[in-house]
Amino acid sequence: MQVRGGCCLPSNIKTGAVMNNNVMDKGNIIYRIRKYLRSAEGSAYYFILPSIVLLIIFSIIPLIVSFYMAFFNANMTLDQVSFAGLDNFKQAFSDKRFLNSLKVTLIFTALEVPIQVLGAMAIAALISKNTYTNKLFRAIYFLPVICSATSIGIMWKMILHSNVGFFTYALQSMGLGKINFFNDTHLTIFVVAFISIWRSFGISAIVYVTAIQNVNNSLYEAAEMDGANKLEQFIHVTAPSIRPTFWYILMTRLAGSLQIFDIIFMTTDGGPNYTTESTVTYIYSRAFSSSASMGYASTMSVILFVIIMTVTVVLYRRMNAEEA
Amino acid sequence: MKKKIISTILAVAMTTSLLAGCGSSASTPAQDTSAVADTDAEVEAKADTNANAAESTADSTESTDAVEAETSEPITIKFWNGFTGSDGDQLVELVDRFNSENEYGITVDMDITSSLDEELSSAFAAGEGPALLLSSSAYRFTYGQYMQDISDIFDKTGLDKSDFIQSYLDYCSEDDSLYLVPFQIVSFYLYWNKDLFEAAGLDPEKGPTTWDEYLEYAKKITDSSKNVYGSGLCYGYNYQMAHTIQRFGGLAVTKDSSGKWQANFDSNSGYADFVNTYKQLVDAGDNPLTDDTDSMMTAGQLGMTINGPWLTGGMDTAGINYGISTIPTGAAGNMNSCEVLGFSVTTVASDAEKLAAYRFIEWWNTMDANGTCPALEWSVTNGYPAYMKSLMETDAYKSNEKVMSMTNTDTSAPSDFIVDASFPGINAIINDVLPQLVQPVLFDETKAETALGECQKLADDIVAQYNN
Repeated sequence: MQVRGGCCLPSNIKTGAVMNNNVMDKGNIIYRIRKYLRSAEGSAYYFILPSIVLLIIFSIIPLIVSFYMAFFNANMTLDQVSFAGLDNFKQAFSDKRFLNSLKVTLIFTALEVPIQVLGAMAIAALISKNTYTNKLFRAIYFLPVICSATSIGIMWKMILHSNVGFFTYALQSMGLGKINFFNDTHLTIFVVAFISIWRSFGISAIVYVTAIQNVNNSLYEAAEMDGANKLEQFIHVTAPSIRPTFWYILMTRLAGSLQIFDIIFMTTDGGPNYTTESTVTYIYSRAFSSSASMGYASTMSVILFVIIMTVTVVLYRRMNAEEA
Repeated sequence: MKKKIISTILAVAMTTSLLAGCGSSASTPAQDTSAVADTDAEVEAKADTNANAAESTADSTESTDAVEAETSEPITIKFWNGFTGSDGDQLVELVDRFNSENEYGITVDMDITSSLDEELSSAFAAGEGPALLLSSSAYRFTYGQYMQDISDIFDKTGLDKSDFIQSYLDYCSEDDSLYLVPFQIVSFYLYWNKDLFEAAGLDPEKGPTTWDEYLEYAKKITDSSKNVYGSGLCYGYNYQMAHTIQRFGGLAVTKDSSGKWQANFDSNSGYADFVNTYKQLVDAGDNPLTDDTDSMMTAGQLGMTINGPWLTGGMDTAGINYGISTIPTGAAGNMNSCEVLGFSVTTVASDAEKLAAYRFIEWWNTMDANGTCPALEWSVTNGYPAYMKSLMETDAYKSNEKVMSMTNTDTSAPSDFIVDASFPGINAIINDVLPQLVQPVLFDETKAETALGECQKLADDIVAQYNN
């Protein structure tokens, strides 16, 4: 302020004053940053720094690179790269397999998400009290979450194998006929969805249990005094109280279902006749299995990213609106 | 202040050393390649100066090169492959043996990885990677620019080119350049369950030799009350489909008279015959509609199936009494539908590393005083047919019933796998086109001709990429 007011000062003095002021400002900023980082609040950044670095290396940079590569034709080693412009996008929207994979992904999502979101909520309500039995059930439900998709895929392949599967054999022995779980174009997508739900059901249930346990007990007492039975308590007290958790699970499961890959890769690999080929499975096959078209695979990844981002943003806004 | 200066100096030193490291690794292939080129030029120049004694001069020059490289300090070469199975243990054992036996001071530093493709692509992109690579010859379509022409291996080592079956060498070659030296011939074979044959009143020692016999046997073996099927064709097993389809209708991509690639799906009566035969087997209940026949074969529920040699491990463990033969010949005639795995030397290798790799390949294929060699041991232990005529003549090979039944004694039979051996788009044909031939017919009641028309369009798109 002094400098601005000192219009009659020689120019060299004015400039020097400005420089000194800038240096002082910079010094102040650095000092403030240092001070902030030394504070209890600021030191938290040191703890999240490793995660941020990993996030940048393994998520942010690949994301930016894949956006860039979507406009190129590139092989696996990235040494034969040519500009493709929007050609890859045009190709994607006229690629029958890609469009089919989007359809399969949507069907899978429509099957998995409602069961995950609502089913897990119902189960969570049943096992929310901290009894010994409930704790045991929680552990059982959570067990598949910690198993690898490879183990789960192999296990279910063995159990539901069309000819040598234990479950198939048991059904046949009971006179229910021979069900070809993995080789029926109308049935297999349901089987894959079931395996996926079985695998990740536990995590949704546990999140709900935590949310239910945090509901104020006085609300239940008031409802009970009003004569509400357990079901009515669940509908009128529990469900409204855990709405933020509901939206969170809906959002994460939706994003997860749209990216389904591992279970399909391990069980059906997209078959029979592409009826379980999800978008990510197809992207993987374009990138690594056959033609190694990294550019085209990136294009499809970008399209999927836009779909998932749109869905997530819409749900996130809805969630925030609910909370507000 | 002093601390700051010291830490600044240290940081600069570390950054400089990092950059130096990057620089040297990135420039290595180019330098090495030029080194190889210089050496070759020297050899040629020396040979030219003494035209009358060209052969002896070349020999002496080569041996001088070899001696120069081999009398230098001990050398370590990186060797990458994807043999993660039980055969990988044998590979480790053999490499260890070479490291302890060889007189050249060569150490082969082997890395077996289950993600060879991913590791190679990132390593090559960074100018790094192994000097010696063991892979399918199809890798030359992806990493061809990183593979050296190794056709001089027969001049620089004691290996006899005429001892190798020519069609396998052709499989690994492009024009006059050899990119891989065969290591393993991977084909698919017909396996049959002898006990089920016997139960069906068939000769358990003799598998079908024609597809008509195959259908007839399948019908006799099938027993739905016991969940037993005569035939084990598997729509989800693209490689099985490819090997079988080839027997019916020949190669899916060949060169036309003008030297351009052409796809051969449309109106291919052999291919139509195959899918109709498969559908007929499924509809008759003689073939299960499944994407996994391995489990059924090892469970004793399949009379016949077509698979690679790795199936025998599971059947041996399960105690299945089985026979092996080559896949019945179809309308396409006698052929070796096979893939050739081989050793290749990458552009990452220096001149000395290349020679060291040659020595390892030579050792692998050279008989010792006991009349055996790693190639023979590998062949009879793991059940892969030999790629050298001399191996087929050994008692150890002849007495091995398994490898003998896999061996096509007609060494003049062409070796291609579903497409002409030099067509780079083989993976796309196998993984993207063939399933669209078989699965719509099996699941959607699509006519074979319609499916073939769709496949022709898909294959035309793939072929067009390599005709430009």
